[in-house]
Amino acid sequence: MKRTLRSFLLSLPMLLLTALMLTGGSIPREPSRLAALILTYLFFNTFFFLMLHKGRTDRYRAVLFVTYSVAFVIAFVSHLVEARGSMALTEANMIEGETPFCHVVIPMTLIPAALTKTIIFPGSITGTHASIAGMFVLWIGASLALGRGFCGWACFFGGLEDGFSRLLKKPLIKGIRPSWSYLPYAVLLAVVLIAAISLSPTYCMWLCPFKTVTEYVQVTSVKIAIQTAIFLSLFLGLVIVLPILTRRRTQCSFLCPFGAFQSFTNKVNAFDIRIDPDRCVKCGLCTKSCPTFSIDEASIKKGTTRLSCMKCGKCVDTCPKGAIAYHVKGTQLSRGILPRMLFLYPAFLFMSIMAGRQIQDAIVRIIRLVTTGSMI
Amino acid sequence: MGVEAFLLGLSNGAICLAYCAPVLVPCLMGGVGASGLKSDSLVVLRFLAGRMLGYVAFGVIAWVLGHSLTRMAGLQEPVVGCCFLILSIFLALYALTGREHTCAHSRVTALALRMGASPRLLPGLAGLASGLNFCPPFLIALLAASRPGTLQGSVFFFLAFFVGTSLFFIPVPFVGMLRRFPSVRIVGKMAAGIMGLYYAYTGLTMLIGGLRTL
Repeated sequence: MKRTLRSFLLSLPMLLLTALMLTGGSIPREPSRLAALILTYLFFNTFFFLMLHKGRTDRYRAVLFVTYSVAFVIAFVSHLVEARGSMALTEANMIEGETPFCHVVIPMTLIPAALTKTIIFPGSITGTHASIAGMFVLWIGASLALGRGFCGWACFFGGLEDGFSRLLKKPLIKGIRPSWSYLPYAVLLAVVLIAAISLSPTYCMWLCPFKTVTEYVQVTSVKIAIQTAIFLSLFLGLVIVLPILTRRRTQCSFLCPFGAFQSFTNKVNAFDIRIDPDRCVKCGLCTKSCPTFSIDEASIKKGTTRLSCMKCGKCVDTCPKGAIAYHVKGTQLSRGILPRMLFLYPAFLFMSIMAGRQIQDAIVRIIRLVTTGSMI
Repeated sequence: MGVEAFLLGLSNGAICLAYCAPVLVPCLMGGVGASGLKSDSLVVLRFLAGRMLGYVAFGVIAWVLGHSLTRMAGLQEPVVGCCFLILSIFLALYALTGREHTCAHSRVTALALRMGASPRLLPGLAGLASGLNFCPPFLIALLAASRPGTLQGSVFFFLAFFVGTSLFFIPVPFVGMLRRFPSVRIVGKMAAGIMGLYYAYTGLTMLIGGLRTL
């Protein structure tokens, strides 16, 4: 009883903060929107309470994270069909700057912006859904608050492969060579350099697997057909099949240039994951469970994770000896509640800000589908 | 005329660097052997020497073709397409060098091992292949070089232009210092392979498109 009361008191500030964030200062009058708001609010806060009460992070984060991604796809695609009549992006849409800006483009825009003072993306700087300036502000905030934790708590694509990676109890493919985990850095280097020459967001045009579930350029030529085939293959391979077979987030681990870019922000972020060498019994469970290959023998020896850690908390939950914990840089390694709470609050709040609207919108559209037969 | 070409090179050097960086940066990052400013400077110099040869070759071609830019323009796509294909082969081989089992095919492995044993040639050849390129600053230089009317004038113009652009490459050897981290070498090799794929695609489409219009 005492423990429950303590967990409730600790989650009280989150109850207030999420109320502010999800309502945006006003309660909707439309019944379906009101129902969506209440459901989302209860959903988030129940899971936050459970995180604190049970002392487990990843188990509850994963449910929210997967829901967020599925809701994002439902809301985004419905929104596109409502606005344009299809998921396809026409040349006219691009010329008019109607392409929603996604965080993955950010690293590709930096060199061309410095050289030519232009943003190489057919979107709008401000004022529209997913504007360029809005996404930059979110990214800077997320980098400072979470570092690469963005990929584990706020990326609207990550939940899809996270969900698929949990379908099987044991991986069917094991023993992946660790050197493959450097591939996203190579992809990052290549797409940034090519974007600087071609002044176009190369990754979005050629490699983004998530075009499959968001928007794609209308197929009007052989080149676009090839690009679409690549998107589909990468989605099937890296977001569905390999995560199921390996129980890892393979798109994040082997392809995503934004993830690689975001890894460097782990250096400036205040939080990291630490491994207590005195408690560690070298059972290897953390290495096996890490979805992004961020723990290996060398990192265990150093008592920390690799740069690519996205702070999902899976290793913290998995460790049978409690040797792994959230940690605030510059402080003593402790098993107390404070470092975990200090990380969980910004991470969870960020997720609720990013996911809240998407989940509400998806619920409204599902209610509309049930009652009218159409999501639009 | 020399000063004009040098200034033209200076004003376009940043773009030249941006065009050469996709080849040069992965090569420096994934390079074989210990990192060091001296050895990395030599890699850049070899690359620049290859690039200079490419420029001189273009100076000669511009003169041989009777300074006719329209005739050059017709050849642009297939010539650059071929250069990009050659460049993609260099990059692919570079990505594969230094590995025990490059490929299931023994000849490819043997070739990669041979190139790995003498990697000095690669930067120069890559510089030559990327020098034979109609990047925007190069087209400006080509237009200007067609004015002198003599072989020496045309070649001299390209050489002065080359010197102007090369000043921007001075900081590049410092990229090689990252190589002391083993992971950077792996990333460099992988990036070279990806760049190879990019140039292979670009080269093929340019070649096919160019041959169609000829």
